[in-house]
Amino acid sequence: MERRRFLRNSVVVSGGLILSPNLLSQSWGKRDPKNKLTILHTNDTHSNIDPFPENHSKYPGKGGVARRYEMIQKIRSEEENVLLLDAGDIFQGTPYFNKFGGVLEMKLMSKLGYDVATMGNHDFDGGMDGFVKAKQYANFPFVCSNYDFKNTPIDGHTEEVKIIKKGNVKIGIFGVGVELKGLVPDTKFGETVYLDPIEIANERAEKLKKKGCDLIICLSHLGYEYDSEKVSDRVLAQKTSNIHLIIGGHTHTFLEKPTEEVNANGETVLINQVGWAGIQLGRIDFEFDTRLFSKKDVLVVQ
Amino acid sequence: MIKHIILIAVGAGLLACSSVDKIILNSSSSANVDVVNHDGEANTIDSIVAPYKEELNAEMNAVIAYAERPFERGRPGGSLNNWAADALLSSQIGKAKLSGPVFSLLNVGGLRNSINEGDVTLGDMFKLMPFDNEVVWVEMPVESLEDIAAYLTASGGEPISGAELKNGKLMVDGVNEDTKTVWILTSNYLMNGGDNMNFFQQKMSVTHTDELLRDAFVRVAKEQKLLLWSDEIRIHI
Repeated sequence: MERRRFLRNSVVVSGGLILSPNLLSQSWGKRDPKNKLTILHTNDTHSNIDPFPENHSKYPGKGGVARRYEMIQKIRSEEENVLLLDAGDIFQGTPYFNKFGGVLEMKLMSKLGYDVATMGNHDFDGGMDGFVKAKQYANFPFVCSNYDFKNTPIDGHTEEVKIIKKGNVKIGIFGVGVELKGLVPDTKFGETVYLDPIEIANERAEKLKKKGCDLIICLSHLGYEYDSEKVSDRVLAQKTSNIHLIIGGHTHTFLEKPTEEVNANGETVLINQVGWAGIQLGRIDFEFDTRLFSKKDVLVVQ
Repeated sequence: MIKHIILIAVGAGLLACSSVDKIILNSSSSANVDVVNHDGEANTIDSIVAPYKEELNAEMNAVIAYAERPFERGRPGGSLNNWAADALLSSQIGKAKLSGPVFSLLNVGGLRNSINEGDVTLGDMFKLMPFDNEVVWVEMPVESLEDIAAYLTASGGEPISGAELKNGKLMVDGVNEDTKTVWILTSNYLMNGGDNMNFFQQKMSVTHTDELLRDAFVRVAKEQKLLLWSDEIRIHI
């Protein structure tokens, strides 16, 4: 209630000079569901298709793709605009991967309706040919912006950025991955060239903003934070501009809810990560306040 | 009259320009939620998984050993660290040509799942060691022990067997002042610099076993029947 009053006042102040009440009504009436977006996300699911067993020492009975599917379906029935994302390390962790090479993971993610994913270091574990082979069964794109795959079998199988329209909102998504050297055997990433994630993130985010994206999301497999100087999502958030949300992975960090950082421009950036193994599903609800004239895209936490 | 038309045109133009000014996070509904097994009705996902699961289960549900208590990984040490490093060492000891001081070294990050109390299945071993890494013997100059000690101190501890880190020094069973080389049993992944174990660049020779680390674990688990549990601290930092 309080917020509605605030919105009404601010609309009058910023746009009330020349406009008739007719034109304004869209801003202060009941909020248009087309201006709402629900982002659901996972990371580091690591081939965990079945729930953990009931005798598991840490996560008894948790996770499982079938339950995740039910949760997502329920949210889809309640919300008009849902975006489903994954931040990498889809492969490796259960015999499903050893035996079937990631095919089942891709089939299931397609059925769940994933919109976009990025690659984690373990998504190279089947080799690059193995990734391409499994990816045939995916009906969603992978965005990888800081791996240069030219001269590798993956070339042409990933995208630099992806723009998706949901309701009234234009969403720009790109992906950054972790340095593979030392994490992945050399033979498995071959001639993949690693590009500086901060530099690339700044470039891609600016490009997406210029293309008119209202919301800019970075799918990251860099890791949430480190004691060392290593680039993490927190560092990425602080040293870049134009990114609104970082969906992270790699460090298997369980966050209760999205955390906030201040970017190079003094604006708020959100970071979220949901541990690993599909134990949790992340949810972020945005409402988009539209205005005539100004396009600030400023993120506000309420 | 003309003025009026211009105003309408401007108004229509502005409407088209309506764009996002604020992105408001709804903090009350934005939360990370547990995916819980409700034991609900089978759904379409279950039916996609079923044929794959059937094929796997036939293979993976075979019980190979028993655990009287859970094995957990940890730093500086843990019961799982000890079991894995001991299993690696005992899987190779007694093999011809492996002479002189020898110890095993793995990485905490590579032990991908705990071993739960109860029956231990082949599938549990796959979860513990999903990677298809090979067991290798790496012959190292005795001087490299200093670098390994520094690595273990910096990382906070990794699974070792046949050695102990004390006062910043790595004490390997059987090493004396005449010792020139030491054998390390590890995986090809770590030998090739995985987890930044760059000290392996000093290696003098490598013997490939053509046995997967997971297969070595399975072999030892079957021999032990009751998995040997120990929380002995081997890394003192």
